[in-house]
Amino acid sequence: MKKILFSLFLFFIAAGLSGQPTDPLVSSCLKTSGPNARYLKDFRIQLGKAASGADMRFKANISLWRNTKYRFTLCNTEDSKGKLILTIKDEADNVVLTSYDQKTGKIYPYVDFICNKSGIYQLNFDFENGQKGSGVGVVSMIR
Amino acid sequence: MKGRSLVVLLIILSVIISCRNSATKKGESSFASADSISFGEAQKLSAEAIADISRNIASPVEIANLLQEMNVPFSPEYLATSIDAGTQKTEFDKALTLGILGADLGYLNMYEKTGSSIDILSSIRKLAEGINVGQFFDFETIKRVSLNKSDLDSLLFLSIDSYTRIDEYLRDNDRGHLSALMIIGVWIEGQYLATQVMNHYPDTLLRDRIGEQKIILNDLLLLASPYCNDYPKFTDLCRNLREIRDKYRDIRITYTLGDPVSVEKDGGLVITQTETSKVDMTAGQLAEIIETSKNIRNKLLVTN
Repeated sequence: MKKILFSLFLFFIAAGLSGQPTDPLVSSCLKTSGPNARYLKDFRIQLGKAASGADMRFKANISLWRNTKYRFTLCNTEDSKGKLILTIKDEADNVVLTSYDQKTGKIYPYVDFICNKSGIYQLNFDFENGQKGSGVGVVSMIR
Repeated sequence: MKGRSLVVLLIILSVIISCRNSATKKGESSFASADSISFGEAQKLSAEAIADISRNIASPVEIANLLQEMNVPFSPEYLATSIDAGTQKTEFDKALTLGILGADLGYLNMYEKTGSSIDILSSIRKLAEGINVGQFFDFETIKRVSLNKSDLDSLLFLSIDSYTRIDEYLRDNDRGHLSALMIIGVWIEGQYLATQVMNHYPDTLLRDRIGEQKIILNDLLLLASPYCNDYPKFTDLCRNLREIRDKYRDIRITYTLGDPVSVEKDGGLVITQTETSKVDMTAGQLAEIIETSKNIRNKLLVTN
């Protein structure tokens, strides 16, 4: 009993002292961003099953600056029904990147974007085939 | 008996930890009497629109990164060290200063001058508590990670996430005017940093980044506009922002078209944008922007 209580005590101390993000998904996603990545922002996404799979459902704007290499790391919880997908559009609504390859069906866990046009871009997130899921998209700079 | 003490200790610890991470409704206080104004009639932007604008402001971390790539050495001269958090009387002053110091914190963190950031962290805590959002700024953890100098990415996350949560909480609780002030403060200080460095270390990339701020200046004014006529200090701030925008009026940003090129690498995808943007700005226009940005930022430090 004492051992269990002592272990719990150590756990609470460790939880308080770690300095890691309290959301475990964000924490693990940050780690997968790599040592050269510098955190900028994250988007936490929780979606139910889509009624129709036509449009990506979670949208947010972000400014991206020329001569900067960004990394978009995509993570989802294990109980998500599909993987998290990101598509970025510019102000003219042109797709500048997508983490989903329509030809092969491959979904990439991260996308590096070498930005050469400063502007406001629209991030579009959804889960594969409009499935239900929880995930996070971490935006970092690569040095 | 010892077992019982341990249980009690565990309960106390868990309460402390959970309280530290929880958002309470404590922050829903009204303005201090000194700047008590009604925002009820102000035409407010939607929470999503404000969130988008907040994300569009160039992060001071990105500006500091650019300075590092230019091999510009760190200088404490650019910091708003003259600010005394204890003398900020109104919520207006506290929120704006919170933004200014947030930008300074990003600069210090990127240069890993984390030992020097403790004073700024203390001021940020005081200001955050002053507008009843102290629960979102985990001072002790950020301080510890800063002093350890072990994990820059965690430090950046903790600092930026604290500000994001403060911003979200203010917007969600009808205190969008304070959120707007904080965001404007971040931008003004980031702009000051970029323009001051440009004065000492002229560089094409930095020059362009300064010119490219034209892209988000209208959004910044949009953010402030619902409150511009409601309170004298806000009116002055809006006038200042319009003054900077006017300096940008004749700057041109042009684009060349191109299709993105993608390559698979190490299990991920690398996309190079071939579309480009170009800034046309004369030396005179740049000089005016540098001067105006400095004057406005320094005036805010004095009046706050």
